[in-house]
Amino acid sequence: MNIVAVGINHRTAPLEVREKVWYSDDEIRTAIAELKNTTFSECFLVSTCNRTELYGIPKDGSPAAEDLALAERLKDFLITFKSASSSVERKHFYHFFSVGAVQHLFKVASGIDSMVIGDIQILSQIKDGYTIALEAQTTNSFTHRLIQATYHVGKRTRTETRIVEGAVSVSYAAVELANKIFSDLSKRAALLIGAGETGELTAKHLVGRGIGKLLITNRTRSKADELVASLGGETVDFDQLTSHLLHADIVISSVAAPQHILTKSDISRAMKERAHRPLFIIDIGVPRNIEPSVNNVENVFLHDMDALSGIVDQNLQMRKAEIPKVNAIILEELTEFHNWHESLQVNPTIADLRNYFETIRQEEVAKNINRFSPENRELLELVTKRIVNKLLHTPTTSLKNGNDESLEDKHTKLHIVRSLFGLSKSQGDSFGGNRYEEKK
Amino acid sequence: MKLLIDFVNFLLPALYFVTVWAYAKAFFSDSPSAKKVKTPLFLSTVAIHFCYLLARTLYFDHPPITTIYEIMTVMSFSIAATYLVIEFWTKVKGTGYFILILAFIFQLLSTLFIQDLIEVKPVLRNYLLGLHVSSALLGYAAIAISAVYGFLYLMLYHHIKSSRFGVIYTKLPNLEALERMSMVAITFGFALLTIAIAVGFVWLPRAFTTFSYADPKLIGTIGIWLLYGVGLGAKKTIGWQGRKIMILSIVGFVISFFSLTIVNIYFSGFHNFH
Repeated sequence: MNIVAVGINHRTAPLEVREKVWYSDDEIRTAIAELKNTTFSECFLVSTCNRTELYGIPKDGSPAAEDLALAERLKDFLITFKSASSSVERKHFYHFFSVGAVQHLFKVASGIDSMVIGDIQILSQIKDGYTIALEAQTTNSFTHRLIQATYHVGKRTRTETRIVEGAVSVSYAAVELANKIFSDLSKRAALLIGAGETGELTAKHLVGRGIGKLLITNRTRSKADELVASLGGETVDFDQLTSHLLHADIVISSVAAPQHILTKSDISRAMKERAHRPLFIIDIGVPRNIEPSVNNVENVFLHDMDALSGIVDQNLQMRKAEIPKVNAIILEELTEFHNWHESLQVNPTIADLRNYFETIRQEEVAKNINRFSPENRELLELVTKRIVNKLLHTPTTSLKNGNDESLEDKHTKLHIVRSLFGLSKSQGDSFGGNRYEEKK
Repeated sequence: MKLLIDFVNFLLPALYFVTVWAYAKAFFSDSPSAKKVKTPLFLSTVAIHFCYLLARTLYFDHPPITTIYEIMTVMSFSIAATYLVIEFWTKVKGTGYFILILAFIFQLLSTLFIQDLIEVKPVLRNYLLGLHVSSALLGYAAIAISAVYGFLYLMLYHHIKSSRFGVIYTKLPNLEALERMSMVAITFGFALLTIAIAVGFVWLPRAFTTFSYADPKLIGTIGIWLLYGVGLGAKKTIGWQGRKIMILSIVGFVISFFSLTIVNIYFSGFHNFH
């Protein structure tokens, strides 16, 4: 498979390096257009905060497999295009060829290569990259088929595995927990105490899930007002904290305070007044804002940072455990993609091989035909044809029946046949769209 | 016909066992094949159970409510049928294992000890008896289901409190939903028991010369009825919520179970018919 991929991601480079080679949509457009002119017959570029990756089919037709020089040139291109050579180096990049490149793209699309396993955003980001390439006319039937297969991988991993399930951030874990206590968040009220980042994020997620009412309080009232401006809800008095407990079902506390801001007796009193309606308290303050023994009060559920991190870890473990299933899907899709590609490759190679032999046979027959008596000339045709057929029988069968061979072996075999007999690049590498349609 | 009834009698616990197993596989190990087969399997089991009860009624010429083990198979069916309604109504399909295991136990006990009675007392052929017994049994089935949801509530409650986020946490519906399902079941159960008791008071003194207010089953049932009445009243007036009311639903069921079994087996009175 004549495809090369070079890229940089969270595993190979820190954020301060990655951001230097982050490409905006316009930059992507310009870069791929330039590459289409100089290097690739088809290409597309995906750029997110966690990765920048370039995929392309080399123009000159030479097999890209193991073409390290090309890969290095592409890395340099990505760096110099962004004028980032002072902080980004070749070593921050990785490269893949042929089937490896396709497999990498499938892994990225499935979410198992993401910083947070199962990140669902990446598939739409690949889609965006492809759309730009489509508009810039740097794609053709190969990339089209590749992207289709990539979407299919993404879709299958989401429907057939649990790779995207469960909250994997502390703030989402808090919301997930709230959903295990209450049926309908739109009938519930939340109280956010303090203006910490995680607290704010949690409140934001609660708003996203349609929380009925949001109360925000802070020692410095103006900070609470600012949050109200961005999240909605209303500001309430910090001094009357305990009285707000009557109206709130979910309390998120992230205050920097040396001692507990709510004690067990505060909560016990509030629970009596609120007729023991369940109260969910999320304490993400360090040191902890709520007296831990509050959790012993009936119908009160107190969770701190450790408990929420526990949920996150557990969900991450669960997602990790799904990776073998995802890999199995990738392998299936890779095989299918490869078979499609091979179906384009094998037949033209056989045809080219037959043409090559037939041409030699015809030339030799033409050269020597006068040495034979007219009655033997027909026989000469017959015998030489039979020789050619017999010579070609084994290689043809071997090329056609390569189902048990690995992808790499198949590719190598075709490559050897082509180079041994000096067969030029055939129409097989033009990857005609119609051929794919026929196969489908 | 007799052979068929005997065969189905032994087939039913096997069917309930397989159904419970499928629900357990779906709940605990997320098995896709178990998820696929559990509801059709359950539907078939309930349908076969219904035919079995119908066949017994016709063949032995009385509804299977004259002995404790006949009642147990009807009880098993009531629990399964009530759960079927709940599953289709609420679309919460994960909790079947915890409820159908009760149906399995009742059916297993019935299968092992049921006797083929053809002669029954003429008093047991009264139409009021049908209403009395069916409302009592459905009431008890509802109480059993409410207790199961109460039990699930308490499990999830303690898992959340102690930050254990395993399969119970992941698979069960939320606490509020469990409490609501338990409360709906209790309300139905209480209403049905009220009917059973009311009909009993009208019919029993007329039907039995030996009628006595000191009958253990009568006292037991009224005790249960009062317990649920007080619980429901407390919820309305004091506003009991969550854990406390769910514990009450389990206590109520345990007492009901003793009334249904121990009283029937060890105590005698006009209320026993075998």
